[in-house]
Amino acid sequence: MIHSHDPRMNRLGLPDAPAAPAAKAALDQFGTYEVFHQKKEGAPYVYVGPVHAPEADVAFLFAKEQYSRRFACTGLWVVPTAAVTVTDYVGDQDSAYDTLPLLPNSPAAAVGAADSRATDHTAEEEAAYAAGEEDYDIFHLKKRGKAHQHVGKVRASSPADALQVAKAVFGEQRPVANVWAVRSADFLRSSDEDRDIWATTPEKKYRDAISYKVQDRIEKFKAENPQA
Amino acid sequence: MYGSASTHDLPTTAATGLENEDPILLAEFEARIGRGEKIEPGDWMPALYRKQLTRMIEQHAHSEIIGSLPEGTWITRAPGFRRKMAQMAKVQDEVGHAQLLYSAAETLGKTREQMLIDLINGKSKYSNVFNYPTPTWADSNVISWLIDAGAIVNQLANAKGSYGPYCRALDRICAEEAFHLKYGHDAVVHMATGTPIQRKMMQEALNRWWPAIMTFFGPSDKMSVHTEILMRWKVKMASNDECRNQFLDMYVPKIWEIGLTLPDANLRKNEETGQWEFTEPDWEDFKRVINGDGPCNAERIAVRRAAEENGAWVRRALLTPKTQYVRPLA
Repeated sequence: MIHSHDPRMNRLGLPDAPAAPAAKAALDQFGTYEVFHQKKEGAPYVYVGPVHAPEADVAFLFAKEQYSRRFACTGLWVVPTAAVTVTDYVGDQDSAYDTLPLLPNSPAAAVGAADSRATDHTAEEEAAYAAGEEDYDIFHLKKRGKAHQHVGKVRASSPADALQVAKAVFGEQRPVANVWAVRSADFLRSSDEDRDIWATTPEKKYRDAISYKVQDRIEKFKAENPQA
Repeated sequence: MYGSASTHDLPTTAATGLENEDPILLAEFEARIGRGEKIEPGDWMPALYRKQLTRMIEQHAHSEIIGSLPEGTWITRAPGFRRKMAQMAKVQDEVGHAQLLYSAAETLGKTREQMLIDLINGKSKYSNVFNYPTPTWADSNVISWLIDAGAIVNQLANAKGSYGPYCRALDRICAEEAFHLKYGHDAVVHMATGTPIQRKMMQEALNRWWPAIMTFFGPSDKMSVHTEILMRWKVKMASNDECRNQFLDMYVPKIWEIGLTLPDANLRKNEETGQWEFTEPDWEDFKRVINGDGPCNAERIAVRRAAEENGAWVRRALLTPKTQYVRPLA
């Protein structure tokens, strides 16, 4: 049996030479979601990384722990990885929009409101939605190695269409090393009321490097122990 | 936390397999790195680059998750509520770093399931220092300060590497580890400047850990096989000896400042060369331990395995028919 310095480990009664572990089944570690956060009020949402989770609510909980535990946060979005449409990556001086197939007269339909739940649509917008168009969130990677950042929404009939519309609306922005388009309805987003979950983050001073000041103690020790 | 666990078995130039790669794509890949651009998951990359990065990031992830065990064991016994909270926050950070790193490795094609299996069956390595025990609170403090300090030297270098997902993960990890370093230094200073018993305890812990710390960055450059190609591809950003020298430069004076000694009579800085001189670590012992014969190898793997097995029913219960795995994007 394994003997540990930790009595809790000893209580587990772990065998010295266990049998070979069984292979893990597919999805043992769940599916994948991508996470975006907002550092402060009014700032754009920025990609922070993935989480593994069995479904969106759990993904949100994991994302909250993983990506907003330590530093300031005012909002969190999670979306299944499968829901993200990704363009080719291009060089840091180029535009990923240039890799899209050329189509004649792509519609340019930007959605003004940043909040997908906005309901004050124009008659033209209402007609478009009734015809099956939906909102898509668009994210740009300005430089390889950095993080994708939300640039706005477009209205489109498919992910491929959303990229074409985004090209018409945001294509002047350069460089754009990569673009992500995500159907807005696929996100699980924190709401205004959820902000309470981050209210106590700044109070946890024991996690701040600045809270640990040792120099005074060192100086006092050296003064009292000149031979040390 | 992180250490060069087994990067000494990198391939020689003769065994790179580059002769099988498309020369035009390879030239474009190298030109991109030469321009200072990062490689992203959708890019073409040589098989050797993918393999070495996967192994390196995976080892790093394993080191975070195994490295949380020797400190985690002290959460309940840390002196005082504030130190318990801080120790717990640090351990949570380390496990979070493993999550980030596993995801970065997944972008290269290896599944998380396979990485976890390879860890618990001993196929994959992790930082060798975590195969040593933490018999006292002072030992835990040495990890918090000096192992994390070594890790930060490594990670700051690697954050300038060429693979985008790894760089993004390391940026976040380094930001979180700033607290670890200060917390660890504070804990060591507290003990070293405390009562004679505390001071003795800290000195003894430092004596126990110093040989392992000196191996933290991996074997001496003169023992390492040729890694020129990995340096050119910015997979490896600094040599083992460069990292070790930087660490000694930054932390030996801080150790001496609080009146602690180091168990190496030959340790000194050569002011002419700027290099530290020291007794060569026992690399045979290093190899013995990393290959499974250390004081805690079996315990570390057994605990990790128990956690995996005991959590299996929870994971099965949470699965829904809609759960879908897609390789993380970035």
